[in-house]
Amino acid sequence: MLVVQIKPEEEILPKISSKRLFIFECLGCQEVYFPTKEVEKFIDNLKEEIVGKASLDYLCNREFVKEYIEGYSKQIKKAQIILVFSCGVGVQIVSSLLEDKIVYTCCDTLYLNGFQGLTVQEFNCDQCGECHLNYTGGICPIAQCPKHMLNGPCGGSQGGKCEVDPDVPCAWQQIVDRLAKLRRLDKLEELVTPQNWSVGLISEPPVKRLP
Amino acid sequence: MSLVDYTKFRLKPAEELRGTFKQVNRIFILSCAKCYKIFEEENEEEYTHLLDILGEDHKKIVGHAKIDFLCNNFLSEKRILNLDLSNCDSVGVNSCGLGIQFVAKLLEGKPVYALADSVWQSGDYATEIGYHGVSLEEEKCAGCSQCYLNLTGGICPITSCAKGLLNGPCGGATDGKCEVNSSLDCAWVKIHERLKKRGEKFTLESVPIRDYSRPSLKLRSDLSLQNQTLRGEGFYGGLHPLEKKGKTADKKIESFPEPKIAVIFLSQHAGRRATPSVRVGDEVKVGQKIGEADGFISSPIHSSISGKVISIEERIHPAFQSKDLAIIIENDGGNKVDPLIQPCKDFENLPKEKLLEIISERGIVGLGGAMFPTHVKLSPPKKKKIDTLIVNGCECEPYLNGDNRIMIQHPKEIFVGIRIIQGILGVERIFVAVEDNKLEAITTLNKFLDKSSSVEIVSLKTKYPQGAEKVLIKRILDREVPSKGLPLDVGVVVSNVGTVFAIYQAVVEGIPLFQRVITVSGENLAKPGNYWVKIGTPFKDIIEYCFDKKGEKFLEEYELKMGGPIMGISQTSLDSAVIKGTTGFIVLRKSPVKVSEERDCIKCGRCVEVCPMQLYPLYYSLYGSKGEPGKAIKYNVEDCMECRCCESICSSKIALLSFIKQEKEYARSSNKA
Amino acid sequence: MKTKSKLERVLESGQFAVTGELGPPQSADPEVIRRKAKILKGNVDAFNVTDGQTAVVRMASWAACLIGKEEGLDPIVQMTCRDRNRIALQMDVLGIAALGINNMLCLTGDHQKFGNHPMAKGVYDLDSIQLVKMVKDMRDEKKFQCGEEMAVEPRLFIGAAANPFADPFEYRAARLAKKVAAGADFIQTQIIYNVDKFAEWMKMVRDRGLHEQVKILAGVAPIKSVGAARYMKTRVPGMDVPDSIVERLQGVPKEQVSKEGIQLCVDIINQVHEIEGVAGVHIMAIEWEEAMPEIVEAAGLLPRPKFVTS
Repeated sequence: MLVVQIKPEEEILPKISSKRLFIFECLGCQEVYFPTKEVEKFIDNLKEEIVGKASLDYLCNREFVKEYIEGYSKQIKKAQIILVFSCGVGVQIVSSLLEDKIVYTCCDTLYLNGFQGLTVQEFNCDQCGECHLNYTGGICPIAQCPKHMLNGPCGGSQGGKCEVDPDVPCAWQQIVDRLAKLRRLDKLEELVTPQNWSVGLISEPPVKRLP
Repeated sequence: MSLVDYTKFRLKPAEELRGTFKQVNRIFILSCAKCYKIFEEENEEEYTHLLDILGEDHKKIVGHAKIDFLCNNFLSEKRILNLDLSNCDSVGVNSCGLGIQFVAKLLEGKPVYALADSVWQSGDYATEIGYHGVSLEEEKCAGCSQCYLNLTGGICPITSCAKGLLNGPCGGATDGKCEVNSSLDCAWVKIHERLKKRGEKFTLESVPIRDYSRPSLKLRSDLSLQNQTLRGEGFYGGLHPLEKKGKTADKKIESFPEPKIAVIFLSQHAGRRATPSVRVGDEVKVGQKIGEADGFISSPIHSSISGKVISIEERIHPAFQSKDLAIIIENDGGNKVDPLIQPCKDFENLPKEKLLEIISERGIVGLGGAMFPTHVKLSPPKKKKIDTLIVNGCECEPYLNGDNRIMIQHPKEIFVGIRIIQGILGVERIFVAVEDNKLEAITTLNKFLDKSSSVEIVSLKTKYPQGAEKVLIKRILDREVPSKGLPLDVGVVVSNVGTVFAIYQAVVEGIPLFQRVITVSGENLAKPGNYWVKIGTPFKDIIEYCFDKKGEKFLEEYELKMGGPIMGISQTSLDSAVIKGTTGFIVLRKSPVKVSEERDCIKCGRCVEVCPMQLYPLYYSLYGSKGEPGKAIKYNVEDCMECRCCESICSSKIALLSFIKQEKEYARSSNKA
Repeated sequence: MKTKSKLERVLESGQFAVTGELGPPQSADPEVIRRKAKILKGNVDAFNVTDGQTAVVRMASWAACLIGKEEGLDPIVQMTCRDRNRIALQMDVLGIAALGINNMLCLTGDHQKFGNHPMAKGVYDLDSIQLVKMVKDMRDEKKFQCGEEMAVEPRLFIGAAANPFADPFEYRAARLAKKVAAGADFIQTQIIYNVDKFAEWMKMVRDRGLHEQVKILAGVAPIKSVGAARYMKTRVPGMDVPDSIVERLQGVPKEQVSKEGIQLCVDIINQVHEIEGVAGVHIMAIEWEEAMPEIVEAAGLLPRPKFVTS
């Protein structure tokens, strides 16, 4: 699930100084998180002329963006810079539809657990292509361990917490606990061979493009 | 349009599956119905393929269930715990890693096996995980939290370059193709071309090294927790639309100028249309009855102005959006009041039958928008015992402030109205439910509350549609109104706070329902506000008075909704007029993208996340678009309360309500048959 | 004998082994290493050079090992999985063996967030156990991780770390079994201050018969100051420093603390020497190499055995 934070002002303001702006604001993932107040404040504080502003949801949908570009074509033509408040997907799509316009993003995108898009999740999946959950009692060592150890734990696990952050549970502690409950600790005896990190390159193309 | 199929998992290799099955004796299979691909048919699991692979071992399968969006923890937990898993020794899960982890945690103590591998989503070149948006487009974002798009003309170097170079290109591109996969373009060549098109250059400064410690774990877990809290508030599902109440929250209710011509519809209530009791040419006074109720489930109509009946004709009804009978009255400016309107000092001693008669005679109907005749609601069948009254002051739609202002400005009258209803129903427990975005209303009500009374003011977390009856009853009393049932089935009567005020006016001041508070708000309004508006005031009068820019093109450029922006009814004619159920008048600039029945569902799962009735709206879209409305019945379309949460959040902007209405209509007519 | 390692000979001969440790400088200065190596000479059978300990940039372990070798000692190079993928790891293994270094300790590596470059990408292509197996297969099967064969194999005496004090405690002995099965020849433990807990762990280890399959060297270290004790207690991942240790140091006058810290170390060496299954000690007098001769002598571990190097 992609969500955004506003970039620091110093990164944007010098680039847009005294230019006429058109703003695209995406509210599509508002039910997950969108920094509405910061964005409003940022826009209010802009000294540049804003020739138009389109607030919409799902800037990641190319068809919608096309309609908006058409609907606001006069203003977009007048603008010298298009400012976008959305995740990286939306910015790329707007950029690809307005190739001869300067398009800047005002946001940094980050990823919250949840594979993609559905909703924020407690669990995460790193799409590794060789699901290890069968020998870890259903707890993912790749997604939950910062060192993605397959034969964990490392020596830094203390009190069930990860050495990286005391608030983060040690994935391998959880795995051992879960397997102990299932009386399947024997599943950890066998050495797990190194991960194939090249699934995207050598496996058959998992994504089918529709005509 | 090349849409990508982002199926997240595929069955594990055959030998691995057979190996897994050697370890079990009786296994129950859970299959996730997949997400992020065009929704074309119901059966998305590869169950038959699994059976083929297993050969004889398929006999070990003791059961199989398909779950939509297995990672929707709340709903999936309900579905799974309802299954009979008592006679299996293990559970096999065919889903991406999220589903397997979730089931393993849910069924801790039972071995859970992964039958599928998650599939790398980032395409055939990126070495970095890239996430797609809420769409099936090719563009992906790595969520690096230090966006480089401003330096690269809007092409992401992390997800498009196999090496994730920030100061590319490397020396390996041949003919503009990537050295890693020659069928793919070199991202940096594309970046260079894009920058040229824009008149920009590659930055001469070296792009600094990526900070891999971002985004910080703390930020991610804080935002995740924030989201889970937000989503979990009050009830499952629902939305948090931008409230936009600020424009009119503090505006005292003003009197809207009387209309010169009033268009008073004869159908302003659920049930049979009133029959006209006046004729063309008749002189009428304010509050005079001009339409008789037709039967028990019906309501009389009263004139809101004094003047002459100039016509009885059909006009576009604002709720039906089709022609319906209305009485047209020309204002004589005299403001003569019907002498039958007399205050009643002794109302405390009136018997309940008399009170019901007054309420019925004065034309009181539900003012929250449903317009259900109040005297009917307050006369439940004898076998339905009512123990609780809930006064609904939630007003959960954006922009609206009518109920809010009534609570702030008329708390005493509201409590009198409550006492009247209490006398009729004989209830012990009374709640006044208000969303917590109305602090002033809550404080005011608490100030005027008689502490010894059995009325409790309840502040509820603001979330749409907290004000829906069934949601309210579950939230306050933890009672579930049965499917296709009514609040009285669980011993509750829910009444809008505006209706309570109207009851007070009817009984104590003798005033029939001929005016109500509406909020006029939206965009480009010179005079947004809360107004006492006479029933029958034409919409064009309101535009004249409140709107900034005038002109005949109004309906072309603006969307006019009667009600709130979510459930409100779009108006096609400015000759329509205010009716008893008009809670608001919202003017919004038309969006270039409207909902449509033609779009494809991409199984993003958001409709299921937000449905307060815990339904699966994507099936309404599937069967609606296939022209098979009957199939929606098994997905409980009849339980839909048409709150439009699903349509609001639909990432494909599918006209879900249109499908739902068709399917409900089909269900109704096949029930009758 | 699998290798030319002196450590291996000592352990095989059944004598109580002593290894030391040397922290390389945060600079390109080789003299620091020469100086420290000279102090360790004659007091240890082999010595470790840490590799990016706590993710702080220091001279690479293999380079410092080479300098130490030139001084006449038998070095143990440390390799972590944090900074290198399997390609780089195998390349380094070949190079290290070619330089005549005989011992390697295989570690996962402290997370980059602890060090002075927290923004760096952590590689973690393999974990420590996979690394042990990979080096073992290179040595005994003459095969690279991908299965291809090599002409001349690296003859390295393979070590792994064990932390008796990390959680999940009950699982720690099982994890050691995994390292042994992967091919570890010797083990060096995390610094022991909680001798009772270590003894508990050793019992679990003995119950599995692991002490007979792998040589376990108990990790010990002197403490220079009360502040150092507290630092280890609270800031170093995976350490167990009981309050009694801190109190012991607090109980002596300031000028005496370092002397007490050395005595503390000697006491622990003597205690672990008595535990069945402990094949030696690994003394980590980091940044205090001068204390080594005193410790080794006081613990009665001198002279170190001499072998004719083949």
